[in-house]
Amino acid sequence: MANQQTLLSPAELAYLHSSLSLSPPIRPDGRTAKQFRPLTAETGILPGTNGSARVCLADGTEAIVGVKAEIEKTVDPLGGEHYQEYVKSASGAGGGDAEEDKRGARGEWLEMTVEIPGLRDDDAGTVFLAELLREALLADGEFAKKLWINRRFHWRLYLDIILISPPLSYPLPLLSLTTHLALLSTRLPRLKSEGDEDPMFDDDWEASPFLYPRQGAAAGSRPPITLLVVAVGDSILFDPSKEELAVADSALAVSLCEVRTQKGDESMEVDSGRELRLVSMRTVDPPSRLTPPGVPSTGNFAASGTFDPSSQKKQQQQQQRVEEYPQEGVWKAPLGGTRFAVLDSIIRAVLEKGGVADEVLDGLEGVDLS
Amino acid sequence: MADRRRVNGPGSSTLPPVYDDGELDAALRRQRAPDAIRPLYLKTGVTPSASGSAYLEIEPREGEHGSGMKLTCTVHGPRSLPRSAPFSPYMVLSTHVKFAPFATKQRRGYLRDSSEKDLSTHLETALRGALIADRWPKSGVDVVVTIIEGESTRQDAVERRVEEWDVMNVLGGCITVASAAIADAGIDCVDTVSGGVAALVASKDGKDASIVLDPVALEHESILAACCVAYLPNRDEVTNLWFKGQLPSPASCNHQSLVSRAVQASRGTHGLISASLSEAIGSTQN
Repeated sequence: MANQQTLLSPAELAYLHSSLSLSPPIRPDGRTAKQFRPLTAETGILPGTNGSARVCLADGTEAIVGVKAEIEKTVDPLGGEHYQEYVKSASGAGGGDAEEDKRGARGEWLEMTVEIPGLRDDDAGTVFLAELLREALLADGEFAKKLWINRRFHWRLYLDIILISPPLSYPLPLLSLTTHLALLSTRLPRLKSEGDEDPMFDDDWEASPFLYPRQGAAAGSRPPITLLVVAVGDSILFDPSKEELAVADSALAVSLCEVRTQKGDESMEVDSGRELRLVSMRTVDPPSRLTPPGVPSTGNFAASGTFDPSSQKKQQQQQQRVEEYPQEGVWKAPLGGTRFAVLDSIIRAVLEKGGVADEVLDGLEGVDLS
Repeated sequence: MADRRRVNGPGSSTLPPVYDDGELDAALRRQRAPDAIRPLYLKTGVTPSASGSAYLEIEPREGEHGSGMKLTCTVHGPRSLPRSAPFSPYMVLSTHVKFAPFATKQRRGYLRDSSEKDLSTHLETALRGALIADRWPKSGVDVVVTIIEGESTRQDAVERRVEEWDVMNVLGGCITVASAAIADAGIDCVDTVSGGVAALVASKDGKDASIVLDPVALEHESILAACCVAYLPNRDEVTNLWFKGQLPSPASCNHQSLVSRAVQASRGTHGLISASLSEAIGSTQN
């Protein structure tokens, strides 16, 4: 996040920090603490892909995700053609139960790239974002199983995330929501062959099933979403803008996925049956650590207009004290880590029933999947 | 016509039998208590040319080869930034984590791959919280961690695909060794940061799960979730938190206990760092 330095003065940072730590916090754009920025979303925009989505935030940042799938031969870790036969004979005749075989599904079958304009694609920040999104997707172990075709073949899924505009704030929530929608709209051709034959597919695109099945068989996990949450003083803010990140004490990226459980016919209202599950979290290095510190007017010779060499020593001591004890209204970059209680309250706020995550998922459900 | 002077192999190629019973060898199971971490060896000042350095070895199991871990860390700087670099009111920290090409069963290339870059970013977050960076304006420091021997050098690790969980242990080791090297270099920190790992493992029948400290993925049937923290014991603060995995659904507060166990593991490593540092001070005074 080194390139994300804001051009705010220490005085502005201090003002921003104190207004954000109020209860309720006053955010520069007038949102409440748990409010997301408005966004527009659409899916199925790229005809050449298996699934795609576009999300555009109100501030003009825009991301496109395209999902492409290819068939690949499964290579054994032991590197032998005979291995499959050994396994087959060991598990007693071919066509054993598929659930057992699907344990061989590997996370490597998903390839994910993130492209952010102005950043190199091997930049540490970009790699961090890609790994974060990938890890959330693979954490529950269900995703790789969806790519399994038979013992000899699997799908290789390429998920390419492109941020079109230069990032105005940390683009993590935007990229995550776009990926979520693209995966929901992803379809793979319907398999016609059986067993371990060379795969043959139905060429009717209308008949192709979705990677994540729809309402009819809604049970099972859905793609994860990742929320960026920051703590400023005692307040917890969702979806921070660039200025808010610049004064954040700590930032945490929390990924959660929605698991739908089907309980007979009475679960007509889907919202009540939603269960949120934490799949991954990571602390993100807040850019506030790189902001310039303020100088209190007691230590500023230019402001007082007097410079007395005899009192230099006293002033140095004062400087030392200033370093240790933060003064009201003088900006100082946060030092040290975060107390676990703060992190825990962030996690609780994310997982809360009827909280922000629910609201975001409800919003995404309204997007027309084509 | 077969060559009768030599002992010939069979005519066609064969493969050794593969038994897929899914059972773990009793000797391979974890024998430590759930809240015990493996013995560690830490020594600072091993690289004379660097301004600070440390070497960390995690002991392999008794009578086993290659399930331990060996890491070395060198710290270069603080030194002045090149003239072309923009002004920075703080020390600029850059971290490099690299597996040696021979560190794992599968050879690593010389270029850093995405998981190594990801580890570098984690390490940077963990260290930046601990450093008092404003005491060195306009200067830079490089922290280079090399993993000489990784944990998954065994064939089993490749077969059972446990590398993804071993990464957590690697990060924990990286944080500990880098923290010792930074202390050796004499760079001001608010506290020595130490790494700790805890994991939620499923029992054999997959029914109940328990939390273990310092997990070795090979010793367990399956790992459900794992957590790595970088912890400042004297301030009781976490500078880096990394959690991934699947928690069983009813227990909503399980993430708290997992994190607190990881913190407990890092308290254990912190004892080691302070013992090693005080030993180093004692040897220079004599």
